[in-house]
Amino acid sequence: MKILIIEDQQELVKNMVQYLSTESYLCEVALDFDTARRKIESFDYDCILLDVTLPDGNGLTLLKELKENHKTEGVIIISAKDSIPDRIEGLNLGADDYLVKPFHLSELNARISAVIRRRKFGGQQVISLNELSIDLSAKLVFIQDKKIDLTRKEFDLLLFFASNKNKVVSKNSIAEHISGSELDVFDNFDFIYTHIKNLKRKLTQAGGTDNIKSVYGMGYKFEV
Amino acid sequence: MKLLNRTLKSYLVYSFLLLLVTVPVFYFVVRNVLLHAVDKSLKTQLGEIRNNLKANISTPDLEVWSELDKDIHLEKSDKYFEDYIHTRYLKTHENDKDLDPFRQIEASLKVNGQYYKLTISTSLVENEDLLASIVLVEALLLIALMLGMLWINRNISKKLWSPFYETLSKIQEYEFNKHGAIRLKGTNTTEFTDLNRSLESLLNKNYNTYLAQKEFTENASHEMQTPLAIFQSQLELLMQTAPLSEEQAGLINSMETNNKRLAKLNRSLLLLAKIENEEYQPTELVPIADLVKKFLPSFQYYFQKKNLKVIENYYDNITLQANKTLLEILISNLISNAVRHNIQGGKIWIDIRGANLAIKNTGNSERLETGRIYERFYKQGSEKDGIGLGLAIVQRICNINHFSIQYFHSDGMHEFKINFLPAA
Repeated sequence: MKILIIEDQQELVKNMVQYLSTESYLCEVALDFDTARRKIESFDYDCILLDVTLPDGNGLTLLKELKENHKTEGVIIISAKDSIPDRIEGLNLGADDYLVKPFHLSELNARISAVIRRRKFGGQQVISLNELSIDLSAKLVFIQDKKIDLTRKEFDLLLFFASNKNKVVSKNSIAEHISGSELDVFDNFDFIYTHIKNLKRKLTQAGGTDNIKSVYGMGYKFEV
Repeated sequence: MKLLNRTLKSYLVYSFLLLLVTVPVFYFVVRNVLLHAVDKSLKTQLGEIRNNLKANISTPDLEVWSELDKDIHLEKSDKYFEDYIHTRYLKTHENDKDLDPFRQIEASLKVNGQYYKLTISTSLVENEDLLASIVLVEALLLIALMLGMLWINRNISKKLWSPFYETLSKIQEYEFNKHGAIRLKGTNTTEFTDLNRSLESLLNKNYNTYLAQKEFTENASHEMQTPLAIFQSQLELLMQTAPLSEEQAGLINSMETNNKRLAKLNRSLLLLAKIENEEYQPTELVPIADLVKKFLPSFQYYFQKKNLKVIENYYDNITLQANKTLLEILISNLISNAVRHNIQGGKIWIDIRGANLAIKNTGNSERLETGRIYERFYKQGSEKDGIGLGLAIVQRICNINHFSIQYFHSDGMHEFKINFLPAA
């Protein structure tokens, strides 16, 4: 899978590349508008991460050009602007997702997988991890053909872990992911324990192995 | 007291005093002058009589003369006395009721060895009338002069001070965020031109400071987002390193929590700056009850977590010309607070009646300090969650939309009431 990262903050780009490279992604980088435009014209990507404010141009212009040229790349806008009109503008121009800085790399990773799945397989995909299979279109989870009843939150959580398999995901990122992040009503994350506890119980009860490991109270790791 | 009236008052007092003093003074002076003239004529008359008497004249002649001339009276006297003049009040005619003033000169005459007392009288009635007329005319003249002066003075002052009043009214209605840099008109008066120029430079200096500050907050918040994002991503990379000790994990966890807090704080500050920079224009018609109804499901998760009962009452559905994003933030912040500061198994009442939205919740904290709750970064008691900007944002949104907000506390319930259309 080829990903183009268009972002002018070198350090941030370096971190994104480092995190995403451990997946099966091949990351290319464009630090400015012109480089980005050349790369988009010359190559095809599976997903483009697009910063709106570039030193020599507006990222949204690139997005418009992509759509005009009927390119099929999935686009995730990464922006410091978090107001609803900004998001609506980006999404109306045809972006697949909108992520506000600062973001969790685990969240970015989950969104990239979702976009690629949607683009490449039309969402008709089953993720298989050892004995576990996740049917994305039907939103069902099986362990060796045995169906597990999960709530929507638990399903989201499992998918989030699966997208970031073999990585430590922090409690903060889990909390933001499953609460939708926008509202920030609670400042402590006690509420995620219940979801994780239930998920682990349901997986083990169905005969699966408990792959969700707690990492010193800092976060969790889904080991496959 | 207004400036114009102030100068006028001094003029009025002075003119009045002048009138009060000059009219009697004038009266006495003119009266003396007149008396002096009368006296002089009496003396002349007496001198002429004395001269004429040098020729011999018989006593009967004298008596006839005295009889004929009513103004001259002769009577025998037994001694000589010095001439003297005085005023007496007498009847002009026998059957007059009132007494009239007369000026009389009395003198001693010696005719044929006999002393006579000669009295020459002149009626002062005409003089008195004259005097009265003169004083009246003088008084009227003074009054006319006074009124004229007041009128002219008033008009001239008004004209002279008009640039001042213009400047004053301009400054009174001047607001940085509405009018931008100020321009004051030039005048013909050096002092006012100087005043306007000084005011202009002072205000424009302040305006620039205001602009700089406005921009600074927004720019600073924007600039902070990048390092925050970098830091966040580095922490996540750090988490992936192995081996990781429990101590290191604890530190990373704490760093991440604080970074998240910092990011949230920054976002709120940026929002406040944007509200103050009026980047949210009231462009839409928003039905409030619909907005609240649409918003509540997104809180369902939190209501369940705290086992909260939400009681909604929508009596009306007022529609406002406002910015929808801001109204959403307003409602979201108030509901978040109602959840956050609620007790397990508590209640939230949402009530829309007329132009009022009331959000009430059970809670265990004390009454909030009414005067300080809207201050930035104000936190009451032991509250350590939250960043203390939620209500500041709510208040700013209310302010720029001219909503009124009130806080009530009774029986352990906290209530925020917003009136979207407060009476002026």
